[in-house]
Amino acid sequence: MTKHLIGLGVLLAVGMAYPAIFPNNLTVAISVLLFAGWATSWDLLGGWNGQVSLGHASFVGLGAYFVFIGQSQFGLAPWWTMAMAAAVAAVLAYFWGWLTFSLRGPYFSLSTIAVAEILRLVAINEEWLTGGATGVFIATLPEPFGVDLFSRTAQFYMALAFAAVVIATVIVISRARFGYQLRAVREDEDSAMAAGIDPTATKLKAFMLSAALTSIGGGIYGIVLAFIEPHVIFALLLSVQIALTAIIGGRGTIWGPAVGAIVLIGAGEMFRTTFAEANMLIYGVLILVVVLFVPRGIVGELARRHIRRLYAKRAQG
Amino acid sequence: MAELDIFLQNIANGVLIGGVYALIGIGLTLVFGVMRTINFAHGDFVVLGMYSAVLFNALLGWDPYLSLLLAMPIGFFAGVIVERFILSRVVDAPPESALLATLGISLIIGNAILLTFGGEPRSVQVSYASSTFSIAGVNVSMVLLLAGIATVIMIAALYVLLNRTEVGRAIRGTAENRLGAELVGIDTRRIHSIVFGLGVMLAVMAGVTLIPLLFATPTNTGAVFTLKAFVVTVLGGLGNVGAAIAGGILLGVVEVLGASYFMSEYREAYGLIAFLLILLFRPEGLFGRTVKRV
Repeated sequence: MTKHLIGLGVLLAVGMAYPAIFPNNLTVAISVLLFAGWATSWDLLGGWNGQVSLGHASFVGLGAYFVFIGQSQFGLAPWWTMAMAAAVAAVLAYFWGWLTFSLRGPYFSLSTIAVAEILRLVAINEEWLTGGATGVFIATLPEPFGVDLFSRTAQFYMALAFAAVVIATVIVISRARFGYQLRAVREDEDSAMAAGIDPTATKLKAFMLSAALTSIGGGIYGIVLAFIEPHVIFALLLSVQIALTAIIGGRGTIWGPAVGAIVLIGAGEMFRTTFAEANMLIYGVLILVVVLFVPRGIVGELARRHIRRLYAKRAQG
Repeated sequence: MAELDIFLQNIANGVLIGGVYALIGIGLTLVFGVMRTINFAHGDFVVLGMYSAVLFNALLGWDPYLSLLLAMPIGFFAGVIVERFILSRVVDAPPESALLATLGISLIIGNAILLTFGGEPRSVQVSYASSTFSIAGVNVSMVLLLAGIATVIMIAALYVLLNRTEVGRAIRGTAENRLGAELVGIDTRRIHSIVFGLGVMLAVMAGVTLIPLLFATPTNTGAVFTLKAFVVTVLGGLGNVGAAIAGGILLGVVEVLGASYFMSEYREAYGLIAFLLILLFRPEGLFGRTVKRV
């Protein structure tokens, strides 16, 4: 655990220097960091706990809309609204999980799509609150300590802090009692129950934490976009993108989702001109490759090979 | 009297639209029942059907119903190929592997259509698109009626296939118990291919019958249909063909009634809310056998 935390510290230090070295490539870096954070949050539930959600865009949208509505209608600063969004996301996740986690099988994955769709319809139709289908602009933001939140550099640091906090959370959980409970429930609910773990409570906690973290990233995303449309922010494709980033990188590993974010956003940038709008084609091809040939994902497969090498060495004496 | 007329009108529209939803749902539920896989690409196969009708119309000037003759067999073989080369490899992997594979197929189909046809909505103009006729004061759209007739024919054909033929018996056997089916000499890999082919064929057929009514767009429509198919199958009960028919009609009626008596802008949401309520109170579906709650 200390090893991973030190690694995260080193990466954080390198990340702090990034805007000074590449001042012109900040937008791509921000998307990598946001997706790394979202995919890692998704992985808490989807990887460590085995409950595949295809509705995480709901929480992204919730965070973004809280920041917008708080700022434009009540003059609330983004950090307060992000905290509120996290609390509301956790409550939403609680009721949603309470509704579906007592059922096994595909029901949870199916319901996640439906809830995200309902939120999207609400955002489109309740114009008095959300500005409707055309979307809303954010015109003013407070300037804490004279920092302009509209500048890409400030947004980069927010995204960096978000990704670092989420990854640190997962590092701590991976060695905590809760982390072992998550994995026990994923592997076999009946055995977990026999060992005194309540599977539904464990899943609920994982979902609430995952939802709260995702919505904070959503708030930052809203500030980065400065213009949000319901059919973009609540899109099924965004949910799918978040899930696939974690799965391709390696489910249930600490660094897998972050690696997935670098690989997928990088590939997306490389083929941007070739495929234009059809960019998700890459996600489709890569997920098939992963499912058929590398079921553990990139980091999962590397870790497995590393462990096998260690055993081979020990066996040789 | 006028109110009763409007009510009957709504019921008629709901039932006819529901017939097409049932057609989409049957494909999904058939595949789930036999292969225990939720096919996330199902809606994209519906869209593929819509675009096949657009293509045949542009190249050969065919009416959508004529193009069914070609589109359905092509859909069947496309399904068999996808099953052979992709899904058969993950049949013994953890269940979400197959789900993720179909998600990948869905993204590939949607984006391949986007690259080929571009993003603007497409449709096929037919002469009977807006013609209606009335039965006992209820106006029925010609397009919807044709779709309804096609649905009834297809469901009847499927019923005969599943209940009166040797392949159908093998399909039902595989659905009930794969290992047991193999022990009595059924080639379950072949059955899986046939079932997935049938599922895709039904999706393509639904797409073709819908094209005079709806515009096709490459990526979003697929997800919408997949979601509708889920709602239909969960309303009825996953893996149950008869229940999918009832679920489809129920969804059509709920949507139309909700849109005309409450807020029309939430038309899509009524089905989803019904779906969540069913998950809450009767997860086995309205007509399914009881699922054990943990």
